Amino acid sequence: MVALLQAVFSGLALGGIYGLVALGFSITHSTTKTFNFGQGEFLAAGALIGVSVVLMMSGHPITAALNPGDVTPLRYGIAVIVSFAVLGLFGAILYFTAVRPFIGLSGLAWVMSTIGFGIIIQNTALALWGPTPIVMGSPVGNDVIRIAGAGILPQEILVLFASIITMVLLDIVMRKTRFGKAVRAVAHSRNAAILMGINVPAIVVIAFVMSSGLAGMAGILVVPITTASVFMGLSIALKAFSAAILGGLNNPRGCILGAFLLGLMEALIGLWHAELREISIFLVIILVLVFKPEGLLGQRQVEKV
Amino acid sequence: MSQLKKLIQISLAIIAITLLPLSTDNGFYLKIFFMIGVNYLAASGLNVLVNYTGQKSLGHAGLFAVGAYTVALLTTRLSWNPWLAFLASGVVAAAFGLIIALPALRVRGPALAMVTIAFGIVVEKIVSEWQDVFAGQQGIYGVVPLSIGNMPFNAQQWVWFVGGLGLIAHLTLGSLLKGKYGRAFAAVNASELAAESVGISVYGFKVLAFIISAVTCGFSGALIAQQNQYISSDFITFSLSIFFLLIVLFGGKSTYGPLLGAIVLTLLDAFLARWPEWQHFTYGALLLFGLYIMPNGLSGLVSGIAKKLKLGSNQSGVTNYDAPSQAWRGDTIDQQTKNETLLSAQDLCKAYGGVVPTHHVSLELKTGHIHSLIGPNGAGKTTLLNILSGIVKPDQGNIVFLNTAITKWPAHKISNLGLARTFQNLRLFTDMSVLDNVKTGLHARMKSGLWANLLSLPNSKRQEQEANVKAQQILVLMGLADRALDLAASLPYGMQRRVEIARALATSPQLLLLDEPAAGLNPQETHELIDIIVAIKKLGITVLLIEHHMDIVMAVSDHVIVLDYGQKIAEGRPEEIRNNTRVITAYLGEDDNAADSNDTISHGSADLAGGTHA
Repeated sequence: MVALLQAVFSGLALGGIYGLVALGFSITHSTTKTFNFGQGEFLAAGALIGVSVVLMMSGHPITAALNPGDVTPLRYGIAVIVSFAVLGLFGAILYFTAVRPFIGLSGLAWVMSTIGFGIIIQNTALALWGPTPIVMGSPVGNDVIRIAGAGILPQEILVLFASIITMVLLDIVMRKTRFGKAVRAVAHSRNAAILMGINVPAIVVIAFVMSSGLAGMAGILVVPITTASVFMGLSIALKAFSAAILGGLNNPRGCILGAFLLGLMEALIGLWHAELREISIFLVIILVLVFKPEGLLGQRQVEKV
Repeated sequence: MSQLKKLIQISLAIIAITLLPLSTDNGFYLKIFFMIGVNYLAASGLNVLVNYTGQKSLGHAGLFAVGAYTVALLTTRLSWNPWLAFLASGVVAAAFGLIIALPALRVRGPALAMVTIAFGIVVEKIVSEWQDVFAGQQGIYGVVPLSIGNMPFNAQQWVWFVGGLGLIAHLTLGSLLKGKYGRAFAAVNASELAAESVGISVYGFKVLAFIISAVTCGFSGALIAQQNQYISSDFITFSLSIFFLLIVLFGGKSTYGPLLGAIVLTLLDAFLARWPEWQHFTYGALLLFGLYIMPNGLSGLVSGIAKKLKLGSNQSGVTNYDAPSQAWRGDTIDQQTKNETLLSAQDLCKAYGGVVPTHHVSLELKTGHIHSLIGPNGAGKTTLLNILSGIVKPDQGNIVFLNTAITKWPAHKISNLGLARTFQNLRLFTDMSVLDNVKTGLHARMKSGLWANLLSLPNSKRQEQEANVKAQQILVLMGLADRALDLAASLPYGMQRRVEIARALATSPQLLLLDEPAAGLNPQETHELIDIIVAIKKLGITVLLIEHHMDIVMAVSDHVIVLDYGQKIAEGRPEEIRNNTRVITAYLGEDDNAADSNDTISHGSADLAGGTHA
């Protein structure tokens, strides 16, 4: 029972991370029908940049080891913001170099080019930080909190809160603001949006900035639970994409639902047979694709013949 | 002539493969030759999947692993003969190819790419974490290499062997892609709906393409494991999947593409091995900019230069045909007695949420008749056509065609039974020649099988010749004979419409559904269309025509069915429909003067159509 509660908490924290990345997939897919296949590398870059920001603020070079007292909430907060901002910039570069030249072309050239961009980011990161994982403590302490006997890491609670707040904010922005309405208009029909005077190119760039920024933020948030490394991103990004498919790629709320379901599933299966975690998740996704390809909350796209 | 040329090419290739390993005894160079062969072998199958069928897979390292671990486990644990184990690796890989193809039924494009990544990752996790069987990073030693007598292959023999395999793959896949299978793959790539509508099983051909690519990747894996006599989980990485994909994308869509790609990238790989940090960086840059600079890959670049050097050479490989001596007659079109029920639909319903485009519609089509389906925009005409042709499944109701219940059949099966269709928004295979478009329509009538086409057996060649003649005959009938070798996309709009009708006719249908064939045609072309429809009727083919041009409908129809808001509101002979008050109301609204309705129907509705379809 205690173990179960513990697994539920870490599952929710994982779900928060997946949710942020899944939202990133959703926002670019709904506006451009493309998304970043290098999102995992972006996430890793966000994590490494965030860690480096904390290191620099504590007066260390970026390859040094962190002392337990170095990670203060203020520094960590700044690191999250810097990660979001730098990765957002990467997102804009990604859009102009890897996505825009191929939008509207047949084939999936943008899949290749975004993977290529990711590989370049990964190798640059490898040259800067090396392959060894970097350990960083949590800004809210590393002592296990006991709730009903279950041990929970403070960072898990922080991740859960931070991701839920971000998701709620994003939901409000998308539903209430002019910008959000413009994004949804572009998602619905690019041409109609242009005719209504919406600056579609700007919306699309912002979509990529937000998508990559969210990935960077997710990266620095997850570091105190796992570690920061060049290779940390691929499996998180894959599961986040699975979450988006599970919930419905074009429905942001669906993506969040899918993310938490997937996080819980992963944690609970991990409790039973740790080595089956990934395999079972991907099997579930294949089943979902077979029986409900539009996802739990997604709308089936009807092709006009 | 072309036979001789091919023979010379093959002989030259054999000589090159024979001499190359003899030119050096430097182990490093021999290893590079071997790697070029292995990479080419993997890429040759992947080329069919990625470039011809248009399915991007990012998980083929997983299939490589399947082949490698099959020989490793069979030879070390079960002491199989290395040759038998090598063959088994292809079979097992084919089975896994089938598994990875299963999601292809439901997802396409980027989601499928993600699924294949997931497949690759799962295989990678299994071989690295299931230590008892696959020995993880430590790897399996003592994999038994291929041998002659009891002597394991030496470095030169390995190059010869892989060169021979590569040549076989090149010749068989080249022969496959040239014939009906190649056209079917290309059709699936260009338009899945159109492929289904001419009787090609989209799912079947996707699965076949996955299996072909799985077999060649599996053999590559087996070769690596047997040549190294070792395999470990370190070989199986996401980068390997990307490397394979890079070879075929970089090589380009051509049977020579993978060869060019494999040579250039293997050499690059070997060259950059000294600076590992630059190795992946280069792949990244190639992926990012390669398709931007060379959208058709290396082979596209080469053939582009070749084309410039000798202008006017014929790319499609077919040269001038003699005009066919006989006029075309469909294969399976029997001169049936007229007025028999060909197709009957009972109580069809289809709803999309609150929109109900088909509401309890029943209809009956008689052999030898031209039936027209008319109604205001949004009346549900196209939806009804989609239901009849199997593209949309009805919520309820049933359809009987040629005394067979086809309600639940997939579209390609319905097409093979004898129901062809055209599309309101043209769905031609735009990258193919007009002739190939029509030959794609003949696909299901060509009875040669996979092996006959792989091995270029006489049967498949004869079928191909017959298809050429039949396609020419159809093009003569449609007045397109002089455009046979042009790209379909290069034709003017009116002719493209005729190509689509020609392609539908090629399936030898009993029933032809035409969805607004006159949309976008000028008056001259519209008149020619009437002649074509009448000619089709004379061939004994029953027609169901959706049309807004009332002059066509009134000129050719034997029977008119009128839909409004998804319901059938009238049917009968054209002159009956012309005077039917419900029809007039549907088109023009209530409270109209019935006296001058004859006139207004034809003109008013044509305007209606023009206004909303422009």
